[in-house]
Amino acid sequence: MDSDRSNSAAMIRMWRIYRTAKEMCMDRGYQMLEEDINISLSEFVDRFGKEGELEPDRSRMGFSAKPTEAMLIKYTDPPTPKVPNPQPQIGEIWIDFSGDENVGLKQLRDFMQHLVSTSYYSGILVTPKPITGMALRLLRGSTQFEDGPRGGVETFEEQHLLVNITKHELVPKHVLLSKEEKAQLLERYRLKETQLPRIQVTDPVAKYLGLRRGQVVKIIRRSETAGRYASYRWAI
Amino acid sequence: MGPKSILKSPAVPSDAVDARKPPVNEQHLQVALQHANIIQDQKNVEQEILNATLELLEFPPDSKADPARPSPSDAHKFKTLVMPFQPNDYDALIEERNCADLCGYALCPRPRKKVPSASKLHFVDSRDRGVQIVPKKVLEVWCSDDCARRALYVKVQLNEEPAWMRRTGGGHEIEVLVENAETLEFALPLRLKSKKEVQQGELKDGDGEDIAAAWALADEALAELSQERGDKDSNIRTELIKAKIEERTNFKTPSAPSAETTASSAHMAIEGHIPRTDAKKTKDVDDDDDENDWDD
Repeated sequence: MDSDRSNSAAMIRMWRIYRTAKEMCMDRGYQMLEEDINISLSEFVDRFGKEGELEPDRSRMGFSAKPTEAMLIKYTDPPTPKVPNPQPQIGEIWIDFSGDENVGLKQLRDFMQHLVSTSYYSGILVTPKPITGMALRLLRGSTQFEDGPRGGVETFEEQHLLVNITKHELVPKHVLLSKEEKAQLLERYRLKETQLPRIQVTDPVAKYLGLRRGQVVKIIRRSETAGRYASYRWAI
Repeated sequence: MGPKSILKSPAVPSDAVDARKPPVNEQHLQVALQHANIIQDQKNVEQEILNATLELLEFPPDSKADPARPSPSDAHKFKTLVMPFQPNDYDALIEERNCADLCGYALCPRPRKKVPSASKLHFVDSRDRGVQIVPKKVLEVWCSDDCARRALYVKVQLNEEPAWMRRTGGGHEIEVLVENAETLEFALPLRLKSKKEVQQGELKDGDGEDIAAAWALADEALAELSQERGDKDSNIRTELIKAKIEERTNFKTPSAPSAETTASSAHMAIEGHIPRTDAKKTKDVDDDDDENDWDD
């Protein structure tokens, strides 16, 4: 019976998605437990499996994560005379796995209200199918949307989290720069930020790292001639 | 005058610039504003549609409302909300309502139909089209065939043109398919034929006055609406091209071409154009060159 459940395709699928979601949070800089990330399939089935069903219970899979000290510093603007004690632009995140087949405006709004009522800074909604067009439109305007959480809401399709794309050998390492590091970079190369190469925020790796407009990532590739080669991209 | 510097001229008298620039800038400003306004208008309309969808998602407010005979206030609200929609926005609305497990027709409070079996495709036997294979999703959009008809009746009336490009502002009036025709007219009483009839007293005096007053109000509203559409233009419509025609007054009487001027150099013409050359100067240069060449 138990082996039957753990071998079901749906269970293995959700296990992989869960692990990728956890890894994503760790790569973004949230506090994560090592044992949570390396959760084994049988343990996953024990925790989230439903009696007599092949699908895991998605409503119990949601988790929250707190940013680490390093992340807080990275997301804090350098102090200015006007704002001597800037607040970090990041906070606790809530990751939810939607049990509904189709996610539309209603579900998204419920999710936003849940985030606001529990005072999370931002949220990620993982959906089985792509969300509807209207919901996307709501999401696009949600930075000014008064009901939404401060840090905004991201959505991921389940199938996009099946594999951790950053572990692919052709995906170079992306490192987010803080405001201060960005200023140093621009000073060092005497650039304006508009003169940097760009990366779209809809880019898969940018989505994975949750890049916001205006942030700069350092991309470190292996190079045959130079050993390491760093380039920079301005998220747009 | 010496060669023109490519650097910015350091000291241009400021009043001279001011005197020259404004007309140029004015035009640029107008063009920029025009385009900015178009984009802003587009955004406003999209926001409006989104808000309307959010509102129609939980429509009608009364859970026992009858889609066949919607209450006049509901119908009116639905019509005004749906006015800026394009057909694909309306499709999105139906999709959203289905996500919320409601019938796709916004005036129907019932849940959508659930097909009992779990298979993805179904056989549907309709009289006019025979047996068809239909995906389950399509079957589960409406609560009944009547609602489907009512919803599509609204859809075909929607304007394909995006709302910010429509000349008449919001769009034209949309009708809702209703069983009893009286409610279609916002529950307005039958219009009186003329004042005579009122005076003749076919109806009771009080009734007649009420009816007349109701129609007067409706007419007023309609007149207001038409005025809004015709006269009140949003700032986008302000024309960049002026329609004022200015006549050119200083005409010269045309003179016939004289043969002498053209005949002498006619053989030099290249497709009708006679290249102007300073013959003497070029000759001098040529001579110098030649001498130098021979010397070498």
